[in-house]
Amino acid sequence: MEILAGSLASGLLIGLVFALIALGLTIIFGMMDIVNFAHGEFLMIGMYTTLFSSRALGIDPLLTIPLAGAVGVLLGLACYAGFVRFLLRGPMVAQLLGTFGLMLLLRNIALLVFGSEDRTISSGLLVGSVFDLGMGIVFPATKLAAAILSVVAFSAVWLLMHRTRTGKAMLATALNAQGARYMGIPTDRMNALAWAIGGATVTIAGSLLVNFWSVTPYVGLLFTMIAFATVALGGFGSLPGAFVAGLMIGMITEIPGFWDFFTLLTGSSWMGGISMTPFKYTWVYLAYFIIMLVRPRGLFGWKH
Amino acid sequence: MKRHSVLSALLLVPVFLMLAVAVAPAAETIKIGVLYPLTGGAAAEGRELRAGAELALEIVNNVMQLDMDIAKRGGITSLNGAKIELIMKDHEGNPTLGADLAKKLIMDDKVIGILGCYHSAVTKTVSAVCEQYGIPMINDSSTSPALTQREFKWFWRTTPHDVTFTKDLFELLKGLSEGKVRGVPAVPKDQISKLASACEKTEFGSQVSETIEMFSKEYGFNVQKSILYAPKSADLSSEARSLQAAKADSLLFASYTSDAILMVKTLKSQKVGAKIIWGQDAGFEAPEFRATLGDDVVGILTRTVFAPRVADVKKVANQVNAIYKQKIGHDLSGASARAFTGVQTWAEVLQKAGSTKPEDIQKAANSISIPAEQLIVPWKGIKFATSGKDLGQNELGSGIIGQYQKDKSGNIVLEIVYPFELATADMIYPLKGF
Repeated sequence: MEILAGSLASGLLIGLVFALIALGLTIIFGMMDIVNFAHGEFLMIGMYTTLFSSRALGIDPLLTIPLAGAVGVLLGLACYAGFVRFLLRGPMVAQLLGTFGLMLLLRNIALLVFGSEDRTISSGLLVGSVFDLGMGIVFPATKLAAAILSVVAFSAVWLLMHRTRTGKAMLATALNAQGARYMGIPTDRMNALAWAIGGATVTIAGSLLVNFWSVTPYVGLLFTMIAFATVALGGFGSLPGAFVAGLMIGMITEIPGFWDFFTLLTGSSWMGGISMTPFKYTWVYLAYFIIMLVRPRGLFGWKH
Repeated sequence: MKRHSVLSALLLVPVFLMLAVAVAPAAETIKIGVLYPLTGGAAAEGRELRAGAELALEIVNNVMQLDMDIAKRGGITSLNGAKIELIMKDHEGNPTLGADLAKKLIMDDKVIGILGCYHSAVTKTVSAVCEQYGIPMINDSSTSPALTQREFKWFWRTTPHDVTFTKDLFELLKGLSEGKVRGVPAVPKDQISKLASACEKTEFGSQVSETIEMFSKEYGFNVQKSILYAPKSADLSSEARSLQAAKADSLLFASYTSDAILMVKTLKSQKVGAKIIWGQDAGFEAPEFRATLGDDVVGILTRTVFAPRVADVKKVANQVNAIYKQKIGHDLSGASARAFTGVQTWAEVLQKAGSTKPEDIQKAANSISIPAEQLIVPWKGIKFATSGKDLGQNELGSGIIGQYQKDKSGNIVLEIVYPFELATADMIYPLKGF
């Protein structure tokens, strides 16, 4: 029973973390149909920001979250104003390859500046602390904080989109940019805002994650692949989609735990003989594949 | 005018002298291609490897006050004092890139041999290229047993492989039940008989996993669970829970740095404990592992081929370690000590061959015998198998098992707990804090 409870709790937690990482990706796509391949690199920059600023200033890594968010806003704005704005005029292929190039650029700059070794934070409020709720349910503080932030961030972005004038203008831009422009909505500014919000959410996620995960210039890829699967599963551009899909993917990565549970429950020897762990991510991409076949716009896809 | 011509003549003398030096038949340099992971996930180990190889090169090419033959020759004396040049390339841990670089080294740089590559998967493809071109390759640091089971004619491996290392672990466990471990009274075998392993799903990890299963049968232990996980994982919590469910006495791992760090953090956060945690070198021995996890590594065992403590019992290791520490700032590690030994072996093979022809090098490698006192690693020497199923494997290699412990000044050091006769500290058993 402990395995089941532990797996469910762990799946929920990591699912919320995946959703938080996917949030920025889905906002940007929802606004201007651009897949930001450099999303994972934004996460990496958030991680490095917290790592170095907390060390340099001698403060708890948690206190550097606003700084990481500010870096994310600036990074998002700079990428949009200095790069993506021009890409939007080109064909779809240019947009795809453009952000891919941005990913390579940012990763290699990080390699040049930070080197390629693993770095982590070894002290801080969140580091190493754990909430043990019994029944095998264990919440590492970092993951719990990221999960809570995930819920807060999703709610905040949802409220922004649906309850404010700016949000309505953003939605209008997302639905029909030309029409929105005719109505006097500064679409360029709305796009920039989407990049700023997208950048900030993911660098803040990175700022929290570095309390648990080690960071290298390559770390983005690990999470980007899962973020892409999350966004595609939930429906490109959909906020609730990304949230639900994140949770689903969290649960899917816990399949080995559920398998263990049923093995013990049934006492079956053939189940015990098969290890599910090597296929952990296979199920994630399989789910992605099936959704693409059955419902190409994703579970909650709302555009097109 | 006359004075001017005398002056200019005088000025010309040094120019001519310099030209003469340049034209004089300088001792030939011997090019050896070196492939290491200088960037990518194993870059930290790559830097260690490079530093070890470069130090050995310096010792080979110059005369130095050290108790080893290579330090006394100032080059390869059987080749007119020729110096060795290492052409170092970065394979990033990528087998395909490794094979391409090997081809370039052989075709464009005209190297006479190859050294490398750390990752077993890269060594596999690179050695296949060398075999195809008939170029000798010495492998200093890859431990997949399968590498020497392919009957290759141009491949020699100095380091012991994972079968030897894993056997060491079982010898330690056996010794634990027999009361041979320093500072630990005999532990009844049924208290340590349950094992669980988690190895990364690569050439290296899969082989370790198989070897653990093999030896557990031979030594009468019971593997409750063996997990192969996707390397460079974003999350290892389900793996940790699976290990927890196995309720094993010992947890055994084969991982590179980032996974090793994430695994220990996850075990710790999910309170997955065991009496023994053992890592098959690689990530568990990387400097980052210790630096990042700090006190959390205390009590963890790792197999290695070198611990600074070896320097206490081996004079030549002590001398080399002192130079290394002065240059790099920290002690030799398993990676740097093995890279050092790799270059040393190349120098000895060339010295014996007295030629750079592949056939002569092959003959020399097959008949070479480097005695233990020449080596900085605690082996019985270097002698390659020329028959049997482990062709080209150094038959005299052996491993050590270290345990992270805190010394008196609070620093974390790797103390030797196996071989029992080399033990430098009492073993911490059972493991605490997990």
